[in-house]
Amino acid sequence: MSKFLKLATAATLALVIPAASASAEGDPASGAKVFKKCAACHAVGEDAKNKIGPLLNDLIGRTAGTVEGFKYSKAMIAAGEGGMSWDDESLDAYLEKPRDYIKGNRMSFAGLKKDGDRADVIAYLKTFSEGAQSAAAAPAPAEAPAPSTQQQAAAVPAPANAPKAAADAPLPDHGVFHLGRAATAEEIAAWDIDNRPDGPGLPEGRGTVAEGEVLFTDSCAVCHGDFGEGRDRWPVLAGGQDTLKAERPVKTIGSYWPYLSTVYDYVRRAMPFGDARSLSDDDVYAITAYLLYLNDIVTDEDFELSKENFTSVHLPNEENFIMDDRDEEAQYVAKGEPCMSDCKPGSVKITKRAMVLDVTPEGGDDEQQGAGSVD
Amino acid sequence: MSSVTGRKKLLSQSADSAANPAAAVASPSRRQLLGAGLAAGAGAALSGLAARPAAAAGDPVITEIQDWNRYLGDGVDARPYGMPSPYEEQVVRRNVPWLTADPVSSINFTPLHELDGIITPNGLCFERHHAGIAEVDPAKHRLMIEGLVDKPLVFTMEDIKRFPRENRAYFLECAANSGMEWRGAQLNGCQFTHGMVHCVVYTGVRLRYLLEEAGVKTNGKWLLAEGADASAMTRSIPMEKALDDCMVAFKMNGEALRPEQGYPLRLVVPGWEGNMWVKWLRRLEVGDMAWHQREETSKYTDLLADGKARRFTWVMDVKSVITSPSPQAPITHGRGPLVISGLAWSGSGTIKRVDVTTDGGRNWTTARIDGPSLPKALHRFYLDIDWDGSELLLQSRAIDENGVVQPTKDELRLARGENSIYHNNGIQTWYVQANGTVENVEVS
Repeated sequence: MSKFLKLATAATLALVIPAASASAEGDPASGAKVFKKCAACHAVGEDAKNKIGPLLNDLIGRTAGTVEGFKYSKAMIAAGEGGMSWDDESLDAYLEKPRDYIKGNRMSFAGLKKDGDRADVIAYLKTFSEGAQSAAAAPAPAEAPAPSTQQQAAAVPAPANAPKAAADAPLPDHGVFHLGRAATAEEIAAWDIDNRPDGPGLPEGRGTVAEGEVLFTDSCAVCHGDFGEGRDRWPVLAGGQDTLKAERPVKTIGSYWPYLSTVYDYVRRAMPFGDARSLSDDDVYAITAYLLYLNDIVTDEDFELSKENFTSVHLPNEENFIMDDRDEEAQYVAKGEPCMSDCKPGSVKITKRAMVLDVTPEGGDDEQQGAGSVD
Repeated sequence: MSSVTGRKKLLSQSADSAANPAAAVASPSRRQLLGAGLAAGAGAALSGLAARPAAAAGDPVITEIQDWNRYLGDGVDARPYGMPSPYEEQVVRRNVPWLTADPVSSINFTPLHELDGIITPNGLCFERHHAGIAEVDPAKHRLMIEGLVDKPLVFTMEDIKRFPRENRAYFLECAANSGMEWRGAQLNGCQFTHGMVHCVVYTGVRLRYLLEEAGVKTNGKWLLAEGADASAMTRSIPMEKALDDCMVAFKMNGEALRPEQGYPLRLVVPGWEGNMWVKWLRRLEVGDMAWHQREETSKYTDLLADGKARRFTWVMDVKSVITSPSPQAPITHGRGPLVISGLAWSGSGTIKRVDVTTDGGRNWTTARIDGPSLPKALHRFYLDIDWDGSELLLQSRAIDENGVVQPTKDELRLARGENSIYHNNGIQTWYVQANGTVENVEVS
């Protein structure tokens, strides 16, 4: 596939000088939440290992590009060799726009735009960095407390809600039990973001293939690959046409998914992984358009997908979905008492053995790879 | 991969453990303990935990006073939330790292080979998340019902607990359970081949009551259930099922749902595939057609050999597996009495009968179902045999209350091919060797 759009990514490459404010002290508890955006690729804490990105223990004071066993970009190694190390200032600048601060590095995270988010996540990372412990008297990383299993019984907590006093408060007039209250239109709009194949639920908006390519490269390619080919075991989004009858089908939006509405709905509600609901409605139209382009369903880079033309686009595999007809399979149709004795002629032979494959995990970190996956 | 030498080493460790369990508890790596269970092909299983013949001086655990027989133990406040004995440390959920890209959107497995009866302890129920465990503050949790209803409503947890409650035991099985075995025997342990199932007693409220409170309009034929996690999991459910036996549950086995099982509120969809049992349930939308969400189009649809794909394959078919002996639970005693134990279940009701074969399916004996026989719940079966120490090819075959017989894996492959991923309810074969080790195999 050679259709990578050479868009104006270069235009925005002005080197960003970190704003002088190496910002106020961040809050590690808030940082723990912000870090969830990073956690798809980075691990930190006890037992952390390198993932798509390097592990972040002892980050503060570390020379860039030096975690053992992690394959860095040339750019990141060069930065380290040039003397760059991670501190408040460099992290703040890098996290604001990773691509601009170290050009050519492989982290395709778009960046944390809010100063407070960056300060918080840096404060959080400091709690896992010995080098930073002396400076900031590390508060424990704030996670929900695990149910206490040790030592003394917790003091008996007061009831969460004191019994409501009013014996004669008016009951709502709905239903049988008169429980719950009316949902407001704003509340429904906040949660009801689903859309259907026939159109209902799509928001106003539009986006082009070209716009989608920029967004996809920034927010999606880190897992799905620049062309939707899927990195590691992350889902493949494009290609795979004519493989559904093959020994190893490749099930993508273009080869398998029946409806485009599902793409829009899913990206809008759950992507990017670890930063759900961060894309605008227009962004989602643009990314959906780009996914159509990657799957050769549209071929024009200027194609614009919108609420108006959305239902006119059909995915190639729509007709190949059928209703559940398991009941009609031979083994279920042939009802009756099963055989109890002399059911097979001669002795039974072993035909397949799990030990031959030897892909059963044993609790270590063996890099076995079996066939199939759960997705 | 150095599994052979690795296993040999483990065997000596497990022998040590048998002689001195306390030593095993001091620093038992999971590898060690699981390795002891998996110690295949080396014959040491028989030297495991079986009672050893008394030496002339007698068994030291009898003739010597044990620490627990002399010294005082912890008082009542030492364990405000009790945990299993440290000697049970190997009884844990495990995952198969190569199955998924990241543990945040992944699966782990119930240790079926270590359990008995029909109820799964809360901390051992397998986990499947699409965006990690949502840690929801119940005071901030809301359930919204909207769409084709007379009056869209919002409930707090307190509201939900004011509806009439009921208690029901149901199994929950992931549609992908045994999905890795379509092409042949692959994973060596029933935890991995069959561990995406659990069975607990739910306390909750009939979904019907909640829907009736909002008033479903006559054209409301479908329900969209949505979770509050970062995948905002959604599934379409036909209204007929929603009004039949679905529940919203807030307790499992008597205590609050565990966070990984959807605390504070989950949907219960008895007999149907686990993905529909939306966790952290926050929204129910009534509509006049299905939504075709990601988890009912691109996933949880069953690709057939001819390139067609089945959708809305909701019901979990009749299925069974022998949990012991099995690869992680080898026979550690010699010949003589052997308890063959297993689980059977059907998404269509109760299990009427389970047959067991020891010769790979030539001859079958009806097993004994013991414990409650509840619709859409796990059933426990036993076959008590006198093992002569010879090789066995063990299988179980369940028949549900409608007379539907669990098929063989080859029958399923013939009907569907090998790329369905989901709904593999084929008969499982365990190969028991003369030394008591057990392997996952398939037979002619």
